Amino acid sequence: MNDIIPLVLDTLSSAALIFFAAVGLTLVFNVLRVLNVAHGSFYSIGAYVAASMCFFIASKHLNPYLSFLALLVSAVLVAVVLGPLIERTLIRWTYGKSEAVQILITFGLFLILEDAQRMVFGVQSFYEDTPMRLMGSTNIGGIVYLNYQLFLIAMAVVVLFGLRFLIKYSRLGRLVAAVVADREMAQSIGVDTGRIFVLAFSLGVFLAAFGGALAVPTSGVAPGLGADTMVLAFAVAAIGGLGQIEGAALAALIVALARVLAIYFEPSLDAVAPYAAMLVVLLVRPYGLFGTMTARRI
Amino acid sequence: MRMLILIVAILAVLAAPLAAPWLQFVLTLAIAKGMAALGVAILLRAGLISIGHAMFFAASAYGVAFLAAGGISDFATLLVLSVVIASLAGALVGAFLVRYRAIFFAMLNLAVSMVFYALFAKMYGVTGGTDGMTIPVPTVFGMQLAEPAFKSVLFYGSVALAIVVGLAVRRYLDSPLGHALSAVHTNEVRLEYLGVPVWAVLLIAYIVSAALAGLGGAIGGFAIGRVVPDFAFWTASGHLVLVAVLGGIGGVPGAFIGALFLELLHSEATALTDAWNLIVGAALIGVIVFLPKGLYGLFARDEVAAK
Amino acid sequence: MKFKTVLTALALAGCLGATMPASAQDKPASLGLGIFTFTSGPAAAYGMPGKNAADLMIDQINAAGGIGGVKIAPTYVDEAQGAQGVIAEYRRLAGEPNNQVMVAALSSANCLALAPLAEQLQVPTVGWNCDTHQLLQDGKNKYMFRPNGNTVPEFVAYAAYLLAKKPNVKTIAIINPDYAFGHDAATIFKAALHALKPDVQVVAELYPKLGSPNYQTEISRLTTARPDVVFSNLWGADLENFVRQAEPRGLFTSSQVILALGETILQRVPLPDGVIVGVLGDGWWMSPDAAANPETKKFVGAYKAKFGEYPVFPSIKMANTILYVKAAYESAMKKNGGKWPSRAELAEAMRGSTVTTLTGKTQTRPDGDGVVDQIVGVTVKSPDHSFPVIGDMVRYNGDALMPKEGQDPIAWISTLMPAFAASLPKPGSYK
Repeated sequence: MNDIIPLVLDTLSSAALIFFAAVGLTLVFNVLRVLNVAHGSFYSIGAYVAASMCFFIASKHLNPYLSFLALLVSAVLVAVVLGPLIERTLIRWTYGKSEAVQILITFGLFLILEDAQRMVFGVQSFYEDTPMRLMGSTNIGGIVYLNYQLFLIAMAVVVLFGLRFLIKYSRLGRLVAAVVADREMAQSIGVDTGRIFVLAFSLGVFLAAFGGALAVPTSGVAPGLGADTMVLAFAVAAIGGLGQIEGAALAALIVALARVLAIYFEPSLDAVAPYAAMLVVLLVRPYGLFGTMTARRI
Repeated sequence: MRMLILIVAILAVLAAPLAAPWLQFVLTLAIAKGMAALGVAILLRAGLISIGHAMFFAASAYGVAFLAAGGISDFATLLVLSVVIASLAGALVGAFLVRYRAIFFAMLNLAVSMVFYALFAKMYGVTGGTDGMTIPVPTVFGMQLAEPAFKSVLFYGSVALAIVVGLAVRRYLDSPLGHALSAVHTNEVRLEYLGVPVWAVLLIAYIVSAALAGLGGAIGGFAIGRVVPDFAFWTASGHLVLVAVLGGIGGVPGAFIGALFLELLHSEATALTDAWNLIVGAALIGVIVFLPKGLYGLFARDEVAAK
Repeated sequence: MKFKTVLTALALAGCLGATMPASAQDKPASLGLGIFTFTSGPAAAYGMPGKNAADLMIDQINAAGGIGGVKIAPTYVDEAQGAQGVIAEYRRLAGEPNNQVMVAALSSANCLALAPLAEQLQVPTVGWNCDTHQLLQDGKNKYMFRPNGNTVPEFVAYAAYLLAKKPNVKTIAIINPDYAFGHDAATIFKAALHALKPDVQVVAELYPKLGSPNYQTEISRLTTARPDVVFSNLWGADLENFVRQAEPRGLFTSSQVILALGETILQRVPLPDGVIVGVLGDGWWMSPDAAANPETKKFVGAYKAKFGEYPVFPSIKMANTILYVKAAYESAMKKNGGKWPSRAELAEAMRGSTVTTLTGKTQTRPDGDGVVDQIVGVTVKSPDHSFPVIGDMVRYNGDALMPKEGQDPIAWISTLMPAFAASLPKPGSYK
């Protein structure tokens, strides 16, 4: 019984990180109908940039609380630089092409970005835990938790409701909804779909990069992070139903719970748990928990 | 003209290890991956993209390792049984997955292959975990060969197998079953109205592709002498699709051209630069955008012009 | 029938090709040395100090005239590319006539993959960090050598030290990486504790994947189990991540922590006092033996000057391995009258040799396994350095902690008696 509190807290805090990895992928698919295999790379680039900024702040002996700001700024920076650049060139070219082409183009992009990170940031792991140390820790039910873990949970909730609000109530959100519902119709009534796509893609990049940045203080960043994040994001997006933001949140909880339960009760299955959860859900509901089938090509 | 190029290419491959012995390993691996990529290419004809076929490559290599540990030491027997294992795995997985199309097909393949990967990586007691399992040198027709001799047998044997398999796949693609694949891609509903059981057409294609990946996996496993779970990681599956597309899915030689091209480029490039993935990624995008028929399209176009 | 003839011919041709580089030769222009280590990824935190040490040691040897007048020209292979790439590189390097010996590898997984290859291609291969006891277990290896010792003495030493330090330990938890090294260490540590103090209970055993960045759930699990002792042989960036995440969550105050590879991160991560750490061998650069050796002092000084930090034990293991290769060449040349030795002669020179290293000596048994002493201690503050150092040390005689040749190591451990532990030197005795 005593295990309930740590189980819940561990599930929530890992779910928060997993949610950040997947929500951008799902958003981009929702709007652009492109499954972006390079999504994991944006996550790791965000992590690298955030770590570098925090290093810079530490080396200049600036106020260490600036490193919190650095986490956000680095994600914005990555989104502003890479989002439009990649959408306008590569991704745009794939609209209307077959899924195979889209997957391959973004797989090529993934390979390029992986090596680009190697060349820019080197091959050593980065570790920067200033934000985590600044926040201290709390004893909950006899177990010490980092306040930063609790902060991550809060951030995930903020992002989830922020996105919901953005899509449901803002003007941009309504335009996006119109484009998602019927691209041609939206175009014909004068919606600038090109602009919507750039914005949506950049928002996806931002979410991935922000997730990476938030992960740095607790887990560092090393080569290979992008590839590992990618499969996890895939799993979560698929469980939730591609394109469903609430679905991604629920799926993140399921995946996190599966993994936490494995570590507590059957540690030999920890790495299998997320994928097994994905397989079970997909065998029962092939289009995900919240997904709907798309029509076959006629 | 095209025939001539092919024959010259095959002869060049056969002769290369005489000039540079270490090339033999690289080329054997290229043929192994070419076979797996050929399997992926068959599915691509039907518009189905599988980011999970490396699992059959791995399943067959693990099959060889388990069978060898179980006392079977004959090369041909191991090869046949491991391909059977991969085909059975393909039938099992395929029966579930060929109902799906597009992104869902891709993702379900990814899901199954990652379960496979994670299980084999975690079962330390059975599979050696991430350390993998050793694949010993088998006996060939009852003879226990020295390692280098076996590697030569393996190399020339796999070239021969590649030719046989290539011809067989060509027949298959030219048969009604093969043509039905492209028809699935262009108009699946019409196919159903014609009374063609799409499910069966795709399941057969899936099993054939798994068997090809399995054949590649067995050869690759013998060449490397070890099988590790990384064989089934999703990036390995991605690379198989990449090889297929780079070579071109228009014809059977495409997969082998793609694999040879990549492996040779790799062994040259690693000496010069670390940015190997960058080169491959850029090449992939370049080929898709500018050469939709792949490298093989270069030769095929020649032929059309010559006609 | 005809096919069989062709096969036989092929087999013969293959054999001819393989036997060519085996005979004694003239001195080459340079001695190629394939060195396998991690130079990228999370494992590079451990692999790079090894590469750095190899660079420095080879520079020093070359500056002094090389080996028998031949300069060493190393080729580094990154193990992060996985077994397939590592094997391909090994084959390529083995095909170069210059390359007569390999220093491979860091990861036990790669060692296990390369060992059969070393036998097949008949290339003397020196495992600079191949600790898994499975490597030479069958006793059939002729070309694989491991001068730096194996997992059996390494982890029996930790069990002995723990019981000497904390005789009343009741519960332990284990968190090790999920591959041969982690599982071997857990098996040995548990078997040794079970033999020496049968009432010790294992309350949690976790094997996170090598390269995992996040250990928060594992740390919660370890904390809820409330063990007296947490044992870990995580290493590289994994170890750094684990310590940075576990320390603020109080794991180091609630349990006695043993970090088997803790010495590698002393200079990078602030470790609290009292953590049991060691060097998996005798490679502690500040040990009394190392401090008494002028060669070692010179090496440590040059290392600090070149790389900005002091060597860690992977650096010392690598440096000792290079010295081992050099000693083998010199003794082989002495034996055949100054001629450059063949691969077979080189392997023969390694077998049964005793080589003086920077931090002690290593004896190679006939089965290729090395016998080295084991140093274990706890972290203490140092007046001379900004980082903690190892205090309360013990130096166990390597021979005492190893089974005889051909003996099953786990069976041997289970025969150990509490009297065995009493016969060993006590913590603090190595000063």
